[in-house]
Amino acid sequence: MRMINFAKRNFKELIRDPLSLVFEIVLPLFLLFIFQQFDIPADNYRLENFTPSIILFGFSFITLFSATLISKDRTSSFLIRLGTSPMKSSDYILGYIISLIPIVLIQNILFFLTAIIMGLEFSISIISTILVSIIISIFFISLGILIGSLVSEKGTGGLGSIIVQLVCFTSGMYFPKEVIGGVFEVICKSLPFEACLNIIQGTLHNDFSNLTLIHIIVFLIYFIAVILLSIIVFKKRMVSDNK
Amino acid sequence: MYSIETKKLTKKFKDKIAVNGIDLNIKQGELFALLGTNGAGKTTTIKMISGLILPTSGSIKILDMDMKKDVFKIKEILNVSPQETAIAPNLTVKENLEFTAGVYMIKDKDKKINELIKLFKLDEVLNKRAKTLSGGWQRKVSIAISLINDPKILFLDEPTLGLDVIARKELWKIINELKGKITIILTTHYMEEAESLSDRIGIMVSGSIVEVGTSEELINKTKAKNFEDAFVSIATGGEL
Repeated sequence: MRMINFAKRNFKELIRDPLSLVFEIVLPLFLLFIFQQFDIPADNYRLENFTPSIILFGFSFITLFSATLISKDRTSSFLIRLGTSPMKSSDYILGYIISLIPIVLIQNILFFLTAIIMGLEFSISIISTILVSIIISIFFISLGILIGSLVSEKGTGGLGSIIVQLVCFTSGMYFPKEVIGGVFEVICKSLPFEACLNIIQGTLHNDFSNLTLIHIIVFLIYFIAVILLSIIVFKKRMVSDNK
Repeated sequence: MYSIETKKLTKKFKDKIAVNGIDLNIKQGELFALLGTNGAGKTTTIKMISGLILPTSGSIKILDMDMKKDVFKIKEILNVSPQETAIAPNLTVKENLEFTAGVYMIKDKDKKINELIKLFKLDEVLNKRAKTLSGGWQRKVSIAISLINDPKILFLDEPTLGLDVIARKELWKIINELKGKITIILTTHYMEEAESLSDRIGIMVSGSIVEVGTSEELINKTKAKNFEDAFVSIATGGEL
């Protein structure tokens, strides 16, 4: 109950910040729309490929704004007050995660609705893609909790922007990694964003031929590591911030 | 049974001793002011007694419950109004009250919220977002929130800091109404506030409580003209 109560508060804080809505929803929708207005001769920009890319792009802003919320809470006396209440660490962590799931759902529904209006064929795999996206979003939310626990509000802007850039350039959203090759290709393979995109695209297309075992291993390592680290660092910070 | 009982309460941060072996006995319903210069260890003491940070050594008992064993039971019956206003900025005043009622799982929350709205005269700002309120209103809301769970022990950390004289007097009136019903630990830099509101005053210097008594007792002990002079004399070891 305390967890849900906290999640409701977090959701209201996020939804009432117009800047967060612009970046989490309006900007990705605009990109989805605008890139379909040009006849770009590359597979990445085909509606069935670019819609999953936009979902992932939207998630990078979920990381940014969840980090900002947590960092703000930490630096204000708000978490000091809650620290003296009977709330437990699990109430905080799950409260932050649960509050962002409705935003992820709103993003997905709006992105797919727009894509369908622009010509994406409706299929049942859209529903499974949304469900898979929600699981992947937990990684991005946890990354936000980790960043928000580690750095100040100013720092979250910088680190969050790096995540947005990494998603854009290493996921294969705009161009395949093979275009640059070399070290860049190794970096793309070592980061989880290409794996995330391939999982979402594979679910939508019902075709996982682009998804390798390496992708799955890399994603799982990051997914588990980031969730565990976010819990450990947040708990430690709750104590050290109050010193 | 004391409301708060500490024995040799100590907090060290690396090599620095912030609180040095405090023995404190505070009676139920007492308003105890904790005074000291900046860095004397008041806030660290409050953070330990309110369960926010762990002591390095020593023990804390709240209404006979041990802080180490019964921390979550203790947290149900105390509340804190921190130095800075601690409210959710994008929530309205009413939503802030409802949220905190949810944190403490208050059963009859509407009744309690209405009680606080009346006590703190919050009607006119009830539907305004907290971040749009003046500093005085934010502090008032922050203190109102700290009463949501009918705490048996309330920590007020510099509650009137930055308030104008009228807002300060209004808050004093409310604190006076609470006196005797709940145990209040107050920290303040305003000597007049400590003298006017508290039953007893403890003065901290470099992490230790060097004197405890009523304002009259402390004035008599130092042979000072008034309480402010008595405090200065104690805090400086008679140098000023």
